[in-house]
Amino acid sequence: MLVSDVMLSLPHFPVVQQDVIVKVCLEEMGRYRLGIACIIDDSGQLLGIFTDGDLRRKLLKIQKPIASLFIDDVIDHGIRNPIKVMPSDSLTSAVALMELHQVWDLPVVDGSTMLVGLLHLHPAVKALLPTPPSKS
Amino acid sequence: MNSHTLAVGYGKVKPVVIGQNSPLVFIGGPCAIESRDHAFYMADQIAKICSKLSMPWIYKSCYDKDCRSAPDSFHGLGIDHGLRILSDIRDEFGVPVVSDFSDPAWADATGEVCDMVQVPAYLCRQTSVLRAAAATKRPIHLKKGQFMSPWNMKNSVRKIEAAGNHQILLADRGTFFGYNMLVNDFTSLPIMARTGYPVCFDATHSIQLPTSMGNISGGQREFIPHLVRAAVACGIQALFMETHNDPPKAMSDANTVLNTKYLEVVLTQAKAIHEVRLQLIQKLGEDTVHLEDQ
Repeated sequence: MLVSDVMLSLPHFPVVQQDVIVKVCLEEMGRYRLGIACIIDDSGQLLGIFTDGDLRRKLLKIQKPIASLFIDDVIDHGIRNPIKVMPSDSLTSAVALMELHQVWDLPVVDGSTMLVGLLHLHPAVKALLPTPPSKS
Repeated sequence: MNSHTLAVGYGKVKPVVIGQNSPLVFIGGPCAIESRDHAFYMADQIAKICSKLSMPWIYKSCYDKDCRSAPDSFHGLGIDHGLRILSDIRDEFGVPVVSDFSDPAWADATGEVCDMVQVPAYLCRQTSVLRAAAATKRPIHLKKGQFMSPWNMKNSVRKIEAAGNHQILLADRGTFFGYNMLVNDFTSLPIMARTGYPVCFDATHSIQLPTSMGNISGGQREFIPHLVRAAVACGIQALFMETHNDPPKAMSDANTVLNTKYLEVVLTQAKAIHEVRLQLIQKLGEDTVHLEDQ
């Protein structure tokens, strides 16, 4: 089974431009009920990611007002050059990568780092688990 | 940090450069254009001082003061008469000129004459005013409203950028501290500089006590040099001060304008501190202290 078989495809997960402010990015993440947003440039290339964890760490680290954090460009608080996978990668190796780095999501890019999807842990695990026996 | 550089001046007027590693630029003049003779007299006085100090400068004076507190306060000479005087000052002194405008309908005419257009602090988030300023294609002097946080000025910057203009100078002129009182939070300067645009400190409005005198504003002019020294050391690319040869008789902002007899001593200090700051940057690099915490 491949990553492309179970990944969320565009536009079914949070994607924001690099100059989107943190507050708008959080709204996008809430809209899709995912703890990650992928940050892209004008051409759609993946620049970074912003996650619930990044926000938690920022809240504990920075001492400036929340109003000031809200209006920062999200790219300034995201992770640049994040771990990523390709659609043709095997799902097993991608889940192993998630386990290795203890992450719930991996952006999926093509050979030229154009964002094409998002691999989320739950559908990936569900696809790898054996089909439960029928109750009948 | 402030990667954008502005060139203020067109036609026969040699552009004044406002940028990160450029000499400090003085923007100043009488608050309002009071008469042709007075405007020329003030331009001549400032030109002599700035020439002596080798300081680039931009002449500032307004043709319409639209935020007076009292209905019978001097409002200005009006757009046609005022802009003719500013145009003649450009020609006579070869200096760039700037005036604010309070009505979007005045923007085109202001931009046709002035080398830079100014957005008043009270109007700094008015979309129609920002769009009109952007449409002039001139550099824009955008003052932070006394009610605005420095980080929220990014919204105004983005409105201007969305309208196609990327020549902006952001100024701090104080922040309301309760009623009839302003304070200066100098962190506003590096915060606004994060927009990538140069920043300016408006010293004479920062010492204003807004409408503290019933129907006019008061001011504590004695603190101008202190605030100027602090702001220049903090890091600015332009210094704004309104000045008048006879402040008690000034027809606008009589309680805040700097007496021109003090202009040289204040500018001398500002220039010296600015040059030391640039030397320190050259030697030690830009400020990076605890940037990792951001």
